[in-house]
Amino acid sequence: MSNSATEILVSACIRFLQAYPPFDRMEGEALRFLAEHVRLAHYPRSALILSSEMGVARALYIMQRGRVRVKAGAGLAHSEHSPTNLGPGQCFAIAALMAQRPTSSAYTAAEDVFCYELPASDFFTLTQKSTVFNLFCTQYIADLLKQSQQQLQLQLAQRAGEQRTMNSPLASIVKREPVAVGLAASIRQVVELMAASHLGSMVIVDDLQQPVGIFTLSDVLKRIVLPGTSLDQPISTVMSPVLQTLPMAANAHDAALAMAMHGIRHVLAVDEGGRLKGVISERDLFKLQGAGLRQIRHAIDAASSLEVLQHARADVRQLSLTMLTEGVGAQEITQFISTLNDTVTRRIIELNLDRHDLYGIDWAWLSFGSEGRDEQTFTTDQDNGIVYICTDIMDRELTQLRFLEFARDVNADLDQCGFPLCKGNIMASNPDLCLTLEEWEERFARWVRTPEPQALLNATIFFDFRPLYGRFNLAHRLRLSLLRQTRGNPLFLRMLAQNALAVSPPLGRIRDFVTGSDPDHPGTIDLKKYGVRLFTDAARVFALAHDVEATNTVQRLKRAAAVMNISSDDLAASLEGFNFIQLLRLRHQHFEQEHGRAGDNLIRPEELNEIERRILKEAFRQARKLQARLKLDYQL
Amino acid sequence: MTWFSRIFSGQQAPGQALTARQQQLIAGWQHLPEADLRRSHYRCRYVVVDVEATGSNVTSDRLCSIAALALVDGQIDFNDAFQLLLADVEQGVDSAPSPAEQPTPEPTVAGPSVEPLIDFLQFVGKAPLVAYNAPFVARMIDDALAEHLGIKLGLPWIDLAWVLPDLFRDANDAQGGLDGWLAHFGVDSIDRHNALSDAFASAQLLQITIAYAARKGFDTPASLHALEKARRHLHQSG
Repeated sequence: MSNSATEILVSACIRFLQAYPPFDRMEGEALRFLAEHVRLAHYPRSALILSSEMGVARALYIMQRGRVRVKAGAGLAHSEHSPTNLGPGQCFAIAALMAQRPTSSAYTAAEDVFCYELPASDFFTLTQKSTVFNLFCTQYIADLLKQSQQQLQLQLAQRAGEQRTMNSPLASIVKREPVAVGLAASIRQVVELMAASHLGSMVIVDDLQQPVGIFTLSDVLKRIVLPGTSLDQPISTVMSPVLQTLPMAANAHDAALAMAMHGIRHVLAVDEGGRLKGVISERDLFKLQGAGLRQIRHAIDAASSLEVLQHARADVRQLSLTMLTEGVGAQEITQFISTLNDTVTRRIIELNLDRHDLYGIDWAWLSFGSEGRDEQTFTTDQDNGIVYICTDIMDRELTQLRFLEFARDVNADLDQCGFPLCKGNIMASNPDLCLTLEEWEERFARWVRTPEPQALLNATIFFDFRPLYGRFNLAHRLRLSLLRQTRGNPLFLRMLAQNALAVSPPLGRIRDFVTGSDPDHPGTIDLKKYGVRLFTDAARVFALAHDVEATNTVQRLKRAAAVMNISSDDLAASLEGFNFIQLLRLRHQHFEQEHGRAGDNLIRPEELNEIERRILKEAFRQARKLQARLKLDYQL
Repeated sequence: MTWFSRIFSGQQAPGQALTARQQQLIAGWQHLPEADLRRSHYRCRYVVVDVEATGSNVTSDRLCSIAALALVDGQIDFNDAFQLLLADVEQGVDSAPSPAEQPTPEPTVAGPSVEPLIDFLQFVGKAPLVAYNAPFVARMIDDALAEHLGIKLGLPWIDLAWVLPDLFRDANDAQGGLDGWLAHFGVDSIDRHNALSDAFASAQLLQITIAYAARKGFDTPASLHALEKARRHLHQSG
């Protein structure tokens, strides 16, 4: 056949594509391949182009003309939250194609639409031919994940916002039609109805439907069973009179007030004619406040015994698991866990201060390691210490003994509350970690001056210290003196950087991932050792080298990036990578614990889906980029 | 009556000096089974055609190029496209674009045009043909085929110029011809008045046409053809 015609059409198609990313950057040969293999299809206005019912995605769609409306599917965690409208040059069904599954969104022609369609097999050839396109697809999926997480957080925040409001009108709280009986009903009828409908209370109304009395489950015992009242008597003989009704427009706060004033547990909502419209119970109001963060925090702050704290700690775990399943981001969850764990720890310290007299001494409780970085996951043990000021050198030993006794009790209590004792004895009850400010400063200075292997290892744990209780300014002084030490010691930083480079991202040359690093667990990747740590180690060097006081990895990277000329795109990509690995860790630990195992950090890449594998690969590439920066900065 | 005599001369003197192989290819095309026009638009092959001539007068102007694009199962595949430039008039077009100044060329021995026209036949097969202003395009092609190959195409033609106003009655662009319709639907043209470019644009109009025709119940080539005939009849009798 005449190929001159094909040639002209293909060239025109290439010219069109070149006006849009990523095709504008695409390699010439790959772009030609794309233009030669697409077919132009038309969809009339309001036609459904692609939806999950159509099965596994069979083509990549590149919009040529018109507008497509996207409706996100029901699946939340991994759905395609792309923009709701697509126009010329935009693509769709990439994620579905990559994962070889049906799309989760529905795509409808908002007006007449012309689309270039590339069959799935040619799509995969193209991803191999073009690194630009491959990168675009990976990035696209990473963006989707980010968007879906943001959306979830937004939803969660909205829900929390709704929960907290005590200003909601009763009309919005009343969920079900009130069940009421007339004055003539017998006790038997009422009790049977309550049992059948699982009601805790029954309202008795007169002929005008106006409430006149209320009868609750607790009345059954006091007014019927104990006195031996006949069940055939009318309910009016045992009901309580209605003391107060509220209009539907009143709000939850009014209801709470009414309950408090009258010592009642139910408030009746009525319309303008005084007719019963709904029953609001104390429990409805409690739910309104949300058994969330505030309750737990309140419970912790008010706890007077270990038992209560143990419960609170279980609540923290439960709530963070819920957050995880609801798709909240890793950074928020780890920070949330750390915050509430801090609260538990503080309360334990306070409870112990009642029994230990530390009055008159300046001191602070320090946390190290992941807790020091605000990055705790579901499985975490204790890493803590004490810093104090000893004005008189003669008193030093005695003071330390007092602190050690106190610390032993706190450590034991923490253990009781779900923070297992540290196997490496990194605890405040260890005399080596219960030191005066000068001793800590001296110790830090020694590690910095002589960066032998053990000193470097210590640096990775202790330099991430954070004050939890007591005089926070002691920790601040310690931080400043540490930064003074490290800033002026390039040798130490170089050694620390070298230490950080000892482990490289488990990216394979041939296969996607290197999974053989641990002979005891073949086929797995340790996401702590070969994942998170790559980021935290690099961030620590950046922070110590650039006077960044923060200990949190995300904060360290953000602040250091500003002075290290790291572009905001690169920074965002690193943070994404770090957070994604954390998220995988959290999810894995959650899964393990659901199945009654101690949560480890070993994941099997083959058990991830295609999208997650790709993002994980990207995350490791980001770690590699941070390491490359270390190599560059310290000539390693 | 020159056009009349030319047709007859063409038909009566079928293709001078066709080789045996060429005659065999033509016979092969003639024996292809007829296309089933009762299948859905989205299960058949249309061929959209446009031509370039030395002018717009069917009687005096000569064909310079044919461009054709297939619409298969509703989609355009760039690999399923065709164009031919007729060698014997090509220079004429380049040097003297104004048809008025050009003397009516004598029918020439069609040596260089035979092969491309056979290619065209093979590209088309027995698919229903679509064009904007089909009578003109059909005449130009019929004349060339009669003259050089001594055959008639004998395939159904669907004229977008008749079908579009029927499907889109509230569009005011019917007056504007092909340009008007392209503007109405926002279809870009690669290079307007180039036969291939116009065929491509027409193919996109056909995509729109079949989509909306199907919604009105005209879901096969046969029904589209009938729709066109009815409208033509209505207008010509009214």
